[in-house]
Amino acid sequence: MNGFALDRLVPAHVRAFEAYVPSPPDDVLRRRFGIAHLHRLNNNENPLGPPAACREILARWDPRDAALYPQGDGWHLRRALAARFGLDAEQVILGNGANEVIAFVIKAFCEPGDNIVTADRTFAVYEWLASFSGVAPRLVPLRDDGFDDAALLRAIDARTRLLFLCNPNNPTGSWWDHARLARFLDAVDGRCIVVADEAYAEFAEDPDFPDSFALMARHPNLVVFRTFSKMWGLAGLRIGWMAAAPEVAATVRKTSISYSVNLLALEAARAAVWDVEHIAATRAHVGAARARLGALAGRLGLKMVGAIGNFAMLHLPVADTVVHRRLMARGVMARAMTSFRYPGWLRVSFGSDEAMEAFAGALEVVLAEA
Amino acid sequence: MTSEDDAPRLTLPPGVRFAAVGAEFIRGIAAATGIEARLAERMALIAEEVLAASPATAVAVTLALRDRRHAVRLDVVFASAELDLAGLDQSRDRDVEDAAGVGLYLAARLADHLTTEPAGRGGLRLGFDLARAYPARAVPAPPDGLGMPVGTPVDPDDATLALLVDWAEAKGAGGPAFRTAARVLDQRAAGDLFARVALDARRRPVGGLFWQPFGRRLMALAGPALLLPEGPARKALVEALLDSALAGLVRGTVQGLVVLEAAPGMKRADFEVVGHLPDAQGGHPVLFRALEEDPGGITWVAPELRDWVAGMVRRLALGRDIEASPPPARASGAAMAAETDRAAGRVTLRPLLAAADAAEVAEANVALFRGQGFSQMRALLDLGRPEHAGFAQGLLRAGLAPAALIPDAAGDLLLLAATA
Ligand SMILES: Cc1ncc(COP(=O)(O)O)c(C=O)c1O
Repeated sequence: MNGFALDRLVPAHVRAFEAYVPSPPDDVLRRRFGIAHLHRLNNNENPLGPPAACREILARWDPRDAALYPQGDGWHLRRALAARFGLDAEQVILGNGANEVIAFVIKAFCEPGDNIVTADRTFAVYEWLASFSGVAPRLVPLRDDGFDDAALLRAIDARTRLLFLCNPNNPTGSWWDHARLARFLDAVDGRCIVVADEAYAEFAEDPDFPDSFALMARHPNLVVFRTFSKMWGLAGLRIGWMAAAPEVAATVRKTSISYSVNLLALEAARAAVWDVEHIAATRAHVGAARARLGALAGRLGLKMVGAIGNFAMLHLPVADTVVHRRLMARGVMARAMTSFRYPGWLRVSFGSDEAMEAFAGALEVVLAEA
Repeated sequence: MTSEDDAPRLTLPPGVRFAAVGAEFIRGIAAATGIEARLAERMALIAEEVLAASPATAVAVTLALRDRRHAVRLDVVFASAELDLAGLDQSRDRDVEDAAGVGLYLAARLADHLTTEPAGRGGLRLGFDLARAYPARAVPAPPDGLGMPVGTPVDPDDATLALLVDWAEAKGAGGPAFRTAARVLDQRAAGDLFARVALDARRRPVGGLFWQPFGRRLMALAGPALLLPEGPARKALVEALLDSALAGLVRGTVQGLVVLEAAPGMKRADFEVVGHLPDAQGGHPVLFRALEEDPGGITWVAPELRDWVAGMVRRLALGRDIEASPPPARASGAAMAAETDRAAGRVTLRPLLAAADAAEVAEANVALFRGQGFSQMRALLDLGRPEHAGFAQGLLRAGLAPAALIPDAAGDLLLLAATA
């Protein structure tokens, strides 16, 4: 084969992009780091697992159904979600995780040369998906660890198609309330689609947290993301969703992938809608874990950041990437925040009590050694 | 920066018949693009030697000349990687009858810097660099009363960067990278240097940090150059410079920052010590700062180095499978590339092509450069490449010792060093 010049076939924005490499499976990590057990506190998973009704669905599942395709666009689940939030089922679109929904939206609205606006220190996937789609990410610095409305508005230009607002923000846990989001949407005045990524919304207990589905009626450029990975403990099944005004949803539907959500995920998610007892139990766990982490941070003299969400950040006196590795060697995996543009910070998910204790013990030792 | 641009290029069959054509092409391009005759003539000679020495298995040889401002670069791309590169190895004791070998040997000696990398479709790219000379000039001293840094450090415009370098040079701050403003501007324009500069309220530079490519996935950090007096403002300046460098580098291809010679003021707590380099004062630490989480990886070592590497892996808490390297597939023809810094008396060797005679070749290289009066010998081995282990044995025999293990999950870099 002499005629195959791969470079010629690859767009420059793909060539320039470095592939994301996920961390290896636990058995490989355990071997490499020489540990018997690994507590994962790096992915903001729910240690309580999925709600009881989901477990039952999974336990009763007939493996022979694996041979069948799922229904192609989550008919029942979309209706269940729509009923819960006062929407029309056509306003709801499902994806293989909220990550896939981000891709649908970028594909629907952007072409190379356009830009998206988001923060510099937020969930990385908006920036990545835009970059390898030939769409420029315009990254606005956070102000006081939160999204900066005035600076975001200044960053919007004629080529801005999407603005991603992570609310609450991963990794800072900072958030905008309903009035602030409403004011912001007024100021954007329909110049671009505003995505409120509410992956952690179910952890918000404050009544002032936005009712984005209500805002959508007045602001048809508002798109809301949710996921079953965080509160609902279904991260392994990969299912997330978005809701938008009917004409916006109809546009995104064109670039969405039918059949991409698997059968088990659809059924388990449908059983989860909307188990308030599970929400209460998870919030109680998160609240207790946050209080204990706060006490640890106080004892170690570390600044802690994080208001809403099943995670918080700690500011370390030494490099986070070093602490990450040294924690790994003690069987605990947290998230080093240099890559989130928070050098010197560590993000830790509120895992099981056992994992949190292991983290606390390991962190004390690692910092004492440093 | 070496492949996807529109530099004029010429593809020729390998061998001596077309060597003069290649040389004329280089002279022509140099004349058309205003490259000075002194460099043009040396490059033409290199092109001629390489073409004359290129084996018939090369299929086709492509020449491209580009002005990279602080250096002129000749890229020679062979369509096939099945080449005998021994001629590029400066240590090869050439039989004068072996004309082809002498050609490549001469070409390598003529360049200030030789790099090799795979080219598309199994080919091989040799990059010969000739450095530009910059006239010496008097530099202005920084004014008194530079103020506190204001705002986050910036990617400076040319005038600001030049001013920072001038002032750093006048004060002797920052180290060798912060000298000769014209060269620094050219290095940056060529994509070989990146900078962050902190400004005071009057937008005057008060400090800076540089980084330059180091190996495949790392950057070497230089500085900081600090123009403020000792005190809290200077401490905050150091922190702000590093934070903005890190923020600018993450989420891309760069995995970490190496500091081989830290300038005074670099905050040690932001780095880890990954080894020590010998110097006249008895040694100084090599610092490292990872940008990404290290998920563990494989590190290939020669048996002689296993204990040292295992000790470092433990000390740094790296997740590594330490594996013994399999013997290389080629029986002979191992070669190393050398990067020389004549002013510092330093040479850095890197494996070019692995073969079973790697140890002898490594030893011969060290002997050659010692013989030429180089006092600082260094070598860099990529432990992610199993076939490179053989070089380590020869380097150890020649008196080099492991100095630092620079972590990279895709291939740790082992830095070996010796002083004469
Ligand atoms: C803010 C935010 N959005 C989206 C996602 C992706 O969620 P999913 O698992 O549904 O793809 C995450 C996951 O970490 C997240 O933190």
